[in-house]
Amino acid sequence: MTPLPYLQFLHASLPQVALDVAALIVLFTDLAIRKKSLRLRFSVATAIASAGCIVAIVLLLTAHSQVNLFDGMFVTTILSAHVQVAILALTIVTLVLSIDSSFTEHVGEFVVLVLLAVTGMMFLVSARNILITFVSLELLSLALYSLTGFDKRRPQSAEAALKYFLFGGISAAFLLYGFTLLYGIANSTNYAQIGAAVGASGLTPLVVVAMVTSIIGFGFKVAAAPLQFWAPDVYQAAPNPVAGFIGSSSKVASFFAFFVLMTSCYGAVGGSAAWENVHAGWVPVVAVVAALSMIVGNLGALAQSGLRRLLAYSAIAHAGYMLVAVVAHGADSLGTLLYYVTTYSVSVLGSFAVIHVVEESEGSDQLIHFNGLSRRAPLLSMCLFVFLLSQAGIPPLAGFFGKFFLFAAALRGADGSGLVWLVVLALAMSAVSLYYYLQVLKRVYVSEPPEIRGRLRTPRQMLTVIVLLAVVVVLAGALPETLVRWFGMIV
Amino acid sequence: MTPLNLFLLLSALLFSIGLAGALTRRNAILVLIGIELMLNAANINLIAFWRFGPNPEALTGVMFAIFSISVAAAEAAVGLAIILAVYRHNKTTNLNQIDTLKG
Repeated sequence: MTPLPYLQFLHASLPQVALDVAALIVLFTDLAIRKKSLRLRFSVATAIASAGCIVAIVLLLTAHSQVNLFDGMFVTTILSAHVQVAILALTIVTLVLSIDSSFTEHVGEFVVLVLLAVTGMMFLVSARNILITFVSLELLSLALYSLTGFDKRRPQSAEAALKYFLFGGISAAFLLYGFTLLYGIANSTNYAQIGAAVGASGLTPLVVVAMVTSIIGFGFKVAAAPLQFWAPDVYQAAPNPVAGFIGSSSKVASFFAFFVLMTSCYGAVGGSAAWENVHAGWVPVVAVVAALSMIVGNLGALAQSGLRRLLAYSAIAHAGYMLVAVVAHGADSLGTLLYYVTTYSVSVLGSFAVIHVVEESEGSDQLIHFNGLSRRAPLLSMCLFVFLLSQAGIPPLAGFFGKFFLFAAALRGADGSGLVWLVVLALAMSAVSLYYYLQVLKRVYVSEPPEIRGRLRTPRQMLTVIVLLAVVVVLAGALPETLVRWFGMIV
Repeated sequence: MTPLNLFLLLSALLFSIGLAGALTRRNAILVLIGIELMLNAANINLIAFWRFGPNPEALTGVMFAIFSISVAAAEAAVGLAIILAVYRHNKTTNLNQIDTLKG
């Protein structure tokens, strides 16, 4: 038996180690300054955690070795490093946006849980082994459940955490059950060997059950219909930075892992979702889930009176668009999916930051509080304008190119031109989405403020970050090729 | 019927019982117990596939089962903490009465 390459593993997983060291330092530092003001504690914890993230980013960008350790348990490629960098960057923004929060006294624990969730995401991205995929997904999920319930003073926060946990627990059990069947089929936990075994056995009942349970498990994570019930409650009641975090970084990691799992484990039993040419496999199932998500998300968003719930339903709709890339699973689908999910995450994070400012001053996220926002905070409104229009897919913002690349890749498709029906549905539903995004912007720019209120107080570092995010959205739209190429490498 | 099939049937039964419990029970703790049953069904699968698989020397199944047991324990801990937090606010663990978030 050859000795296991632990030193090599330590070297390759240094970014994750950096995060966890930062987490420990945060915990001890916060213990030392726990008598100080909340803002100072948040600033110190954020500074340390961001330093950890930056060290991890530098380590990821300077390491050029491609590693495949322990039978696919830890795989680093250039693409996975780039995805991890995107996740870390979004995390830094989330942390900076939480500096002015007052929802908890337990600053150290909050930041540590965020860092542990990020560690889970990083391992999820580098896993090509169902055991590690499951364990890292649970590390991510358990941290997110606790973060959702972190605001102990508000009963809604605990209620949302309970719903998130119960739905999540059931879907995790489905995922694990499916994974055990995969292990039984292949007698291995490695994606490549499972893919080969599944290809050899074809679409047997065991494979079908494993396939459906995998889709249930990840469909829950990405908030796709009909597994979306937790999303509106969690987006509404979780502490604001947590809601942004769930809507951004966790989406990036889950979509990447979902795409890799489906294409490498079930590559041979894809089938086809082409109109009038449907073959059994996972592709038609995911196509139905995608179509359902677009419909449920966009129609649900129309009826909302709070901006957080509206964003939750629009997140379900966006999950539908992004699943179109999984359905297509062509050579360039993964690159376009990553471009879409990253730029979408940036605009969601920005929207939640704007909601945070309004909530601090008005006490809730009801749309009525956004009336006349442009007179009270012109710069903030401008940024919200950019974020929402980018999500709606208006050129020249990043969201437009995201949709453009995604749908173009879907039309080219893996197997010719079968996905026209899905793309047509997605385009029609995008038109619906324009209505509710513009409703919000109409309140911001056209409606009169309810009474004479002064200018909105925006903390300076918050405003800086929000403007920065808006600039990123505009730039990613102006120079889409750069980012696509960054993500465009083969796995 | 081979022993492997019997074990798979048992685990499928256990999984279904757990799912039925998780979906029909109104008490949050009983839902949690249902989820634990579902996770344990997966453990039976792992051990059965390992024991009756082509190379039991590899111990992959056992390792997977150990990991899944510890993950299930962690999940129960987080779940009970969340249920406790809800109970502090609502004085109940009945899911029908925890319904302030709607829409």
